[in-house]
Amino acid sequence: MIKMEKTSFDQEKLKTELLTINMGPQHPATHGVLRVEIKTDSEIVAEATPYLGYLHRCMEKHTEHLDYRGVIPFCDRMDYLAAMNAELGWVLTVEKMLGTEVPERAQTLRIMIAELQRIASHLMFFGTYAIDLGAFSPFLYAFQDREFILRLFEELSGARLLYNYIWLGGVWNDINDEQLSRLENWLPELEENIKKYHALVGENKIFIGRTANVSIVSKEMAFDYGATGPVLRGSGVDWDLRKKRPYAGYEKYDFDVIKGEGLKGTLGDCWDRYYVRMMEMHESIKIIKQCLAGIEEGPVMGKVSKIVKPPKGEIYLRTECPRGELGYHLVSDGTKNPYRVKVKSSCFTHTSMLPDMAPGLMIADFVAAIGSIDIVLGEVDR
Amino acid sequence: MSIVTEQKLTFTGYFRNIWTAVRTTFKGMMITFKYVYGVKSVTVEYPEVKEVLPENSRSRLYNDVENCISCMQCATACPVDCIYIAAVKRDKDSPALKTTSGNPIRLDLTQYTIDTALCCYCGLCTTVCPTECLTHTTDYEFAQFTLDEMKYDYLAADVRAWRTRVVKGA
Amino acid sequence: MHSTWASYINEKVSGASAVVNEVEAGDQSITVDPTHLKAVCEALKNGEHEFNVLQVVSGVDYPEEQIIEVNYILASFTKNTELILKVRLPRGDENNLPKVDSVVSVWKAANFQERETYDMLGVEFVGHPDFRRILCPEDWTGFPLRKDYVVQEKYLDMVVNPVHKMNIGEREFGAKHTHIKGASTSVKNYTVEAPATSEDTSLN
Repeated sequence: MIKMEKTSFDQEKLKTELLTINMGPQHPATHGVLRVEIKTDSEIVAEATPYLGYLHRCMEKHTEHLDYRGVIPFCDRMDYLAAMNAELGWVLTVEKMLGTEVPERAQTLRIMIAELQRIASHLMFFGTYAIDLGAFSPFLYAFQDREFILRLFEELSGARLLYNYIWLGGVWNDINDEQLSRLENWLPELEENIKKYHALVGENKIFIGRTANVSIVSKEMAFDYGATGPVLRGSGVDWDLRKKRPYAGYEKYDFDVIKGEGLKGTLGDCWDRYYVRMMEMHESIKIIKQCLAGIEEGPVMGKVSKIVKPPKGEIYLRTECPRGELGYHLVSDGTKNPYRVKVKSSCFTHTSMLPDMAPGLMIADFVAAIGSIDIVLGEVDR
Repeated sequence: MSIVTEQKLTFTGYFRNIWTAVRTTFKGMMITFKYVYGVKSVTVEYPEVKEVLPENSRSRLYNDVENCISCMQCATACPVDCIYIAAVKRDKDSPALKTTSGNPIRLDLTQYTIDTALCCYCGLCTTVCPTECLTHTTDYEFAQFTLDEMKYDYLAADVRAWRTRVVKGA
Repeated sequence: MHSTWASYINEKVSGASAVVNEVEAGDQSITVDPTHLKAVCEALKNGEHEFNVLQVVSGVDYPEEQIIEVNYILASFTKNTELILKVRLPRGDENNLPKVDSVVSVWKAANFQERETYDMLGVEFVGHPDFRRILCPEDWTGFPLRKDYVVQEKYLDMVVNPVHKMNIGEREFGAKHTHIKGASTSVKNYTVEAPATSEDTSLN
């Protein structure tokens, strides 16, 4: 029989240290080149510090020698998964300074394209969030649906991801009736598919176990950090720029704003943010159906002078992109190049919430938390 | 704190958890099972089967330099400065040239080079070209081994070899 | 709206000297005195106007006036309003950066935004809890968004703009063989010289 002696180590005298791990720039679950330095106490995260700048291309300096039309390809490349919404934001900013009139057909087309892009971006979120948590099938299902949207965009603009389609004064190419009817016939199938995907992933007990009650963002924390978009709506705040500060003709359309309600856990957890994005796709389909019913014949490009020179002044305009609010602060000095463009990116603001969302989570939960705020590093670093 | 402590597990709670897990997993498996036999494969077996891009796809650039009037609009519009143009005035006594659309050519093009590795395929240069000599083709198979081969000199004689090359399906 | 806010600021914080900037095109803004910025922000957040969200901290460089203007774009998500607050700081140089108080204690969103303004324009925020560069590497020199910025030649032991990627041959040919004014074969925002020695061209 082994005699167990009382050792000289006891709880108070035993020294433990936090282990510093690097969740490095190359990581399958950080949605890009994000480096997070985590200090963990065995499996539980005590501190998390994000390090940015691995995709910094200094777009704001580039815009100082481009003309106003040449900035549009650069706007695409920030949030490359929701390029049309980013272009729309810039184009609306410059048009507000110039006072341009956009024809009716172009306005309807812009909204239809923006909502299609929102569906594509949320499908991408759905696929990548599921694959972050280990489910491999939803990724390809989401991409199959996204393929229809990307093919339509390729026929319209010429490119699959970085479009340069929404121009000052309207849009580049017109859409023909065959494409419109193809879209109209596909929408019911998409709606069925989204319901199936929600039943496959969102209602699954394992998914709920991994995302409910994880990383709760309260309303005060969301306001303090300036969170917008699905992150803010997931915490129960009824704030959607398309309803509160309508732009580009959104006031004509009828849709609901989805808020998180804490259905499967507490209000403001990861499941709520996932739920807001899934249900928002249904609202986008509603808007597209209204656009298809109300599209009129006409030109798709308004009158814009060859050399665009807005008057001297500054303007700040924000639009509702799939990931939050993208704002453009434009300072113009009356010449053909902008004097200063500052882009307010929602993903940058949401990344600053990570140090506050992390403590107390296990590392696997931390992966779920990063996935639920849906960042794209192109927009974080610009 | 981010983690909420769970409630105490009761006897019925234990069995209810098992039933919910089985029910939701079964529902998910039914959805995925439909994809085994119910959905046609969408894979394009490249390179035996090639994808044909739509007509206005923005892929490889081609410039028909015989029709170029050296207006420099493409180089000014390019956001990344990848077009290098040089032109000199034609002598007064050389014969008058016209493009196919009737514009008179007053300048001799001495250099027209596009660095397609820098090009961002935005299409701004093709929209401002007044004679439409600069166009995007639908050719997407033009990868090279060195960066120097990506600089296309459109005044060279062998450029015409790939002028009509379009990727066609099988 | 702006005049209500300006008079509210002037009444709550003495010495703030809030002035509304009237413009013909674009948005109006309010300029305040830099030394009272933190008090103004607290008054705007906690008072009746409830500006509970700080959206952007954006800096603009005016080298002719020797001023850097820092814009704080505030919004109220409860009252659906928006305000641009400006402070004008003397420009200074590498060793003498313009200083202003940090508002991280008022809105936590200011943390990353102020770090970015420091990184890009060189404005020092006094009292920031984690004051270092965010987008550029930690040991980068210079502030990129200043108008007189020249990019450094080398970073650690890497050449920042390698010569073989600058297409110098094409640019020089274009510059020599063209008689057209305004030819755009030059590099738009900085000049490139051919290498003095040939050692740089051996990089891959």
